Amino acid sequence: MVNRRYGYLHECKWPLEAIDMHHVVVRKSNAKGFFVYLSALIVVANAASYLLLVKDKSITILLWGFLLSVLLVKVMFWNRVMKESVVVMPTFGVQLETHYASGRIIHRFIPIGKILKPVLLECVSPVTCYWSLSLLLHGEAELTLVLKELRPPVKMLIPIWKALCDASDIKEVSDSWKDAN
Amino acid sequence: MADQKHRILMVSDFFFPNFGGVESHIYYLSQCLLKLGHKVVVMTHAYGNRSGVRYMTGGLKVYYVPWRPFLMQNTLPTVYGTLPIVRTILVREKISLVHGHQAFSTLCHEALMHARTMGYKVVFTDHSLYGFADIGSIHMNKVLQFTLADVSQAICVSHTSKENTVLRSGLPPEKVFMIPNAVDTAMFKPAPERLGNDEIIIVVISRLVYRKGADLLVEVIPEICHLYPNVRFIVGGDGPKRVRLEEMREKHSLQDRVEMLGSVPHAHVRSVLISGHIFLNSSLTEAFCIAILEAASCGLLTVSTRVGGVPEVLPEDMIVLAEPDPSDMVRATGKAISLLPNIDPQQMHNRMKKLYNWHDVAKRTEIVYDRALKCPDQNLLERLSRYLSCGSWAGKIFCFVMIIDFLLWRLLQLWQPTEEIEEVPEFTLPHHQDEEIISNFNKDQSLG
Repeated sequence: MVNRRYGYLHECKWPLEAIDMHHVVVRKSNAKGFFVYLSALIVVANAASYLLLVKDKSITILLWGFLLSVLLVKVMFWNRVMKESVVVMPTFGVQLETHYASGRIIHRFIPIGKILKPVLLECVSPVTCYWSLSLLLHGEAELTLVLKELRPPVKMLIPIWKALCDASDIKEVSDSWKDAN
Repeated sequence: MADQKHRILMVSDFFFPNFGGVESHIYYLSQCLLKLGHKVVVMTHAYGNRSGVRYMTGGLKVYYVPWRPFLMQNTLPTVYGTLPIVRTILVREKISLVHGHQAFSTLCHEALMHARTMGYKVVFTDHSLYGFADIGSIHMNKVLQFTLADVSQAICVSHTSKENTVLRSGLPPEKVFMIPNAVDTAMFKPAPERLGNDEIIIVVISRLVYRKGADLLVEVIPEICHLYPNVRFIVGGDGPKRVRLEEMREKHSLQDRVEMLGSVPHAHVRSVLISGHIFLNSSLTEAFCIAILEAASCGLLTVSTRVGGVPEVLPEDMIVLAEPDPSDMVRATGKAISLLPNIDPQQMHNRMKKLYNWHDVAKRTEIVYDRALKCPDQNLLERLSRYLSCGSWAGKIFCFVMIIDFLLWRLLQLWQPTEEIEEVPEFTLPHHQDEEIISNFNKDQSLG
């Protein structure tokens, strides 16, 4: 399952298919890369042109320009999320993983007994609406986001939601969501 | 009666949990339209922590968009800032028609503008009367002229309001429908036992502000208390003029005859009304006045100022009208006291059930929607010609604003194509205890 920005992958590990893995992968965006490199180039060009115009200033300005560009590229790419995974281990728990371009992986493990209910929610921001998949946990007032950084379309969230419902033994699945899948 | 079912987006800055006439109008109309088989979604701004999507009775979906109000519950006007969220909601809910409420709502004006840019048909309901002379009214009327220049149809709540809207906006009268408000007669019922006439109780429930005639009350109440020793007042409501009423009580030693309740939650209004015989309304301007409908539904005889759309609301035998002048109001109250023995609260309530019915309002609104959807589609150039007629300078500014809105919409379509906005699946609501409340409301509304 793919769209312009995200791809969804489902795999089962182990011979008994006991472990259910769902991955939402960020597809490479040429446009974003183009804009980031263009912005970096503009910063360097501005620093260079300032240096040329104001000749009595030291080369420090250009060096600061380079540094700023490197920082810009680093921030935009280094901290970029490559993939988020949901590993469902029935009777044991759920592991939520966030994979960054730098190679860093953040793991969050939630025991199966702590999950009250996985819920699909509509979130509203000042400019858009999107679906999010969250977990209602026993004893916690706040919802826990399953996919913390990414906002894939709801057709990719539904199989993950169903797997979480099955794992935490939630029987109520509405017909409209079955049809939507 | 139309068979085509519509998908309507109601837009206004004024919705629950804020309480008032516009809010309850949107709610009741939406519930009745849902009952008729239409799909209704409400869009308003966030109230405190209430932000995001909420579902109300009957599956009414409400988008509380996190734009903070900046003045009198109005969203900060950014002209183009709400374009992305309005577009997203229109596409994901598969809306066919946008219905804006209240001229004073900035969110309504912006949403109608964006909806027209995107080619949707729009309907506008004006709930209030506005002036022509002061600087605020002049600007408001110009904004209204802009919004209504390209509206498909408009609705007003009284003939006086229609005349006022047509004069302010320059809209052709044939585009304006008159559909009055209604009252929830299931909620506003008379007291089970009729009150005795030994002591006459006059009830006043309104915001204690200049516009609602609180200054008139300060003159009228002592005079009535002096002329009629068996009359008592119950005053519910709060506002900046409350201090004047308290001073009046002290000055004339009326503490035992004038009871001040303070702010009365809407759920308790009926219990206050049924403790009285007469309802006194002293508003200086009203497009419609739902308060007197509620009072009449509870079996109270109404005394009101003859302003705005008030004379159109109740039959002559249910209301005594007076000029907004203390002496005439005292005369009218005296006349009402003499008419009291002839009043049957239950009969009044039964008549109100037949006269005012939210289902009837919904059916009439449905006709307006059908008419709006039959209006021809127009491209940008055809629409711009309508804006040019708004004024020599204003017309050009309006055209410029609409051109920019159109360009921004096209850019938004490139940035986020319509195919990427996911449509919301239809949900079947589970059977719930609210269904019993809804069926009781509908049963009561349809009787008679």
